Amino acid sequence: MVGLWLNIDYAAFVALFCIGLYVVLAKQNLIKKLLGLNIMETAVFAFIVTSGMVDFGAAPIISDDTTGPFASPLPHALILTGIVVALSITALALSLIVEIYRRCGTIEADELKGVE
Amino acid sequence: MELWLPLAAAVPLVAGALTPAIARRHPGLARPWALAVAAWVLAAAVQLTRRVVLEGPFSYPLGGWARPYGIELRFDEFSAVAVVIAMVAGLVLVYSGPYMRLALRATRLPWYYSLLLINLGGLVGFVTTGDLFNLFVFMEIVSVSSYALVAVAGGRIAPLAAFKYLMAGAVSSALILFCIGVLHALTGTLNMADIAARLATAEAPAPILLALAGLTAGLLVKSALFPMHAWLPDAHASAPSPVSAMLSALVVKVGVFGLLRVYPMFAAVDVVRLAPMYEILAWLGALSIVAGALLALFQQDIKLMLAYSTISNIGYIVLGIGLANELGMTGAGIHIANHAIIKATLFLAAGAIIHQTGRRTLHALRGVGHVMPWTCLALAVGVFSIVGLPPTVGFPGKWYLALGALEAGRPGFAVVLLAGAVLIFVYYIRILNAFYFRSPSEVGMLSVREAPVAMLLPVLVLAALCLAGGLLGRWPAMLIGPAIARLPGGG
Amino acid sequence: MNRGLIVFILLAAAVPMLAGVAGLPRPGDPQAPVHAHVAAHYVKEGVRESGAANLVTGVLLNYRAFDTFGEVMVIFAALAAVTGVSSVPPGQRPGESGGRNDSPRPVSPPISPVVAFIIRCTAPFIALFAAFVIFKGHVHPGGGFQGGVILGALLMMLSVVFGRGTRDPLVPPPLAAWLQAAAPLTFAAVAVVGVLLTGYLLGFPGAALGPVRTLMMIALELGIAVGSAVIILGLFQHMRGD
Repeated sequence: MVGLWLNIDYAAFVALFCIGLYVVLAKQNLIKKLLGLNIMETAVFAFIVTSGMVDFGAAPIISDDTTGPFASPLPHALILTGIVVALSITALALSLIVEIYRRCGTIEADELKGVE
Repeated sequence: MELWLPLAAAVPLVAGALTPAIARRHPGLARPWALAVAAWVLAAAVQLTRRVVLEGPFSYPLGGWARPYGIELRFDEFSAVAVVIAMVAGLVLVYSGPYMRLALRATRLPWYYSLLLINLGGLVGFVTTGDLFNLFVFMEIVSVSSYALVAVAGGRIAPLAAFKYLMAGAVSSALILFCIGVLHALTGTLNMADIAARLATAEAPAPILLALAGLTAGLLVKSALFPMHAWLPDAHASAPSPVSAMLSALVVKVGVFGLLRVYPMFAAVDVVRLAPMYEILAWLGALSIVAGALLALFQQDIKLMLAYSTISNIGYIVLGIGLANELGMTGAGIHIANHAIIKATLFLAAGAIIHQTGRRTLHALRGVGHVMPWTCLALAVGVFSIVGLPPTVGFPGKWYLALGALEAGRPGFAVVLLAGAVLIFVYYIRILNAFYFRSPSEVGMLSVREAPVAMLLPVLVLAALCLAGGLLGRWPAMLIGPAIARLPGGG
Repeated sequence: MNRGLIVFILLAAAVPMLAGVAGLPRPGDPQAPVHAHVAAHYVKEGVRESGAANLVTGVLLNYRAFDTFGEVMVIFAALAAVTGVSSVPPGQRPGESGGRNDSPRPVSPPISPVVAFIIRCTAPFIALFAAFVIFKGHVHPGGGFQGGVILGALLMMLSVVFGRGTRDPLVPPPLAAWLQAAAPLTFAAVAVVGVLLTGYLLGFPGAALGPVRTLMMIALELGIAVGSAVIILGLFQHMRGD
């Protein structure tokens, strides 16, 4: 438990991940499910960026007058890619929802089960 | 030339991005362009496989950066599956011509071929990388193009099936990215060989176990192992038939292939024992074999039947990995490639039948064997292959799996294998019986003609591969032997 | 999905994740493995080897350029996906008479002149900011994607204001098709230049050819930005039903 208190940031992001997972599983509206997915992805990005931080560190931009410990640039590059992937998936999911609405007239998952 | 390895993935991707621009005025150009690119990828894959057979695994440091600082591409014996990927993709492209001309508006055609090329590039890139995050990026390329391909010109419920597929895939991708973050926080690097070396000296067992479990869970959801299979049947059945072939043959293997790529990272770790994980895999695999076969038995729609059969076959592969011995893992490895050929044959043949008759259910397709003889012959070859009869290509994988189960002292799993084969036999015999030995139930059946050449040829080629592949004997197993030895439990 | 199953799945996810995360090194610990190995090399040698003072851009465009290439392909795949998936709503297909009675097409309301005026006034400044973010991306926080998103948002606003629809879109279709492929094409061009200069795909010349290296990076940034912006505009137009 001591470990968990030291890493309280990580624990908060795990909690956020589980909240997002709950929304994906429990909500019936397709757009709400998509929002839950975004929450999950945001939690993962926050986790990865936090793992690269340093105490009293500066952003990893080296110029002549910056000294001291720098945060690791690698997690930032990772999540940039991750954010773009999340953007693409959200765009595709939204256009699919529009298409589902055009064909079936509803975007609630329980009503859609009957349509199939 | 050293550049074959990075170009094998990069060329189809760039070509896919160019397809809509090139074919904007003349949509008919899209297919020849895509075919030329696929042929090039096949040549590159053969070249790379030849090199790995002669010299062993080799890598390419992108940008010239030394190993952990840049991305390292790696071609080992498992990567030789790129040949099967390129072959199936090329045949699907040939088949798509007549099929898509009817299903899609002409202005949309270049985007369909663009998505197929991007899918091909993503698959080739996935099997040829040695960097964990690069693996994730290519997995996402494959996934996004697959979600889209399901919904393009699919059936009535295709957008909904694509959405469910997207949800399952994106949630599992988030979990996988989380575990990549955990591994990065533990070791400070993203290169898979480097992580393997550094995890060996790590002390805390909990994060390593979390990474292992999370990666396994995420990858198994992507492979639609029972009970996480719910997204697959609708997605594969309501997609257009060439897309179904790509999905069931290749894309669904991304998960299990990812397991083969990711597990060597945990090989040298002593604080975490892998045996319980393998045990879980074996049981889930066995469950999947039986559940997939039973669910398929109750289907009337032929494409749904084939989709559930995919779940069953993924069960075989996961069971093979879970047996944790050389024979079982070899069976799993060669079944990944063999099942790709068989499933592509089955889906393309079934698709041709559906395309010509307009019917999808067993009842309505009675007697089609007499009006479409060549297509149904190919389907029959595929049926015998998927049951696992020698000398078809479906036999070696199951043979090694059964031997592996016996050697591991788990005869129960060998019985499950046999039961699965018997169940498959039963329901596929239903198909053949309906096609050949029942009189037609629909009047229109008598006027159905054989499939057009562009659709018939790939089906026949794949059926021939089903037969020829079985004659390769022990060569595929010998090819992937060194790679299996590098897996924890495989040596 | 019933309540019990959801609770089970959430517990099965939360408990291992919390336990695993508790065992990680403390975030911010300078002795953690994250800072010891690859990151330390980037911080020490990154500016000299990659030519970018912004180490994140150095990692994105230089050390791990292949990942960035994969990422631009994902954006392009999203555009291909949205284009392939969106069907034309009834009443909009070319050749149909303008029967608007049954089609539920959302007719966009006319834009208020105040809004149009403000957008037109601020557009040059937004474009300037986007250009700043793009071109200074290698020495200052910013980069191709960030600038591309700003530019894309600007293009979306302009397409709303000018409101021309399919008959006269903001970017003419032949040009749009090539611009959407701009990012992968730029990567291909820079990769070929890299092979010619260093013998490695996506390789960058060393400090001796510093200006060439900076030029290659700026070209990549520009390609990514323009490609992303036009793709974002394309996504917006498809979702609007154009």
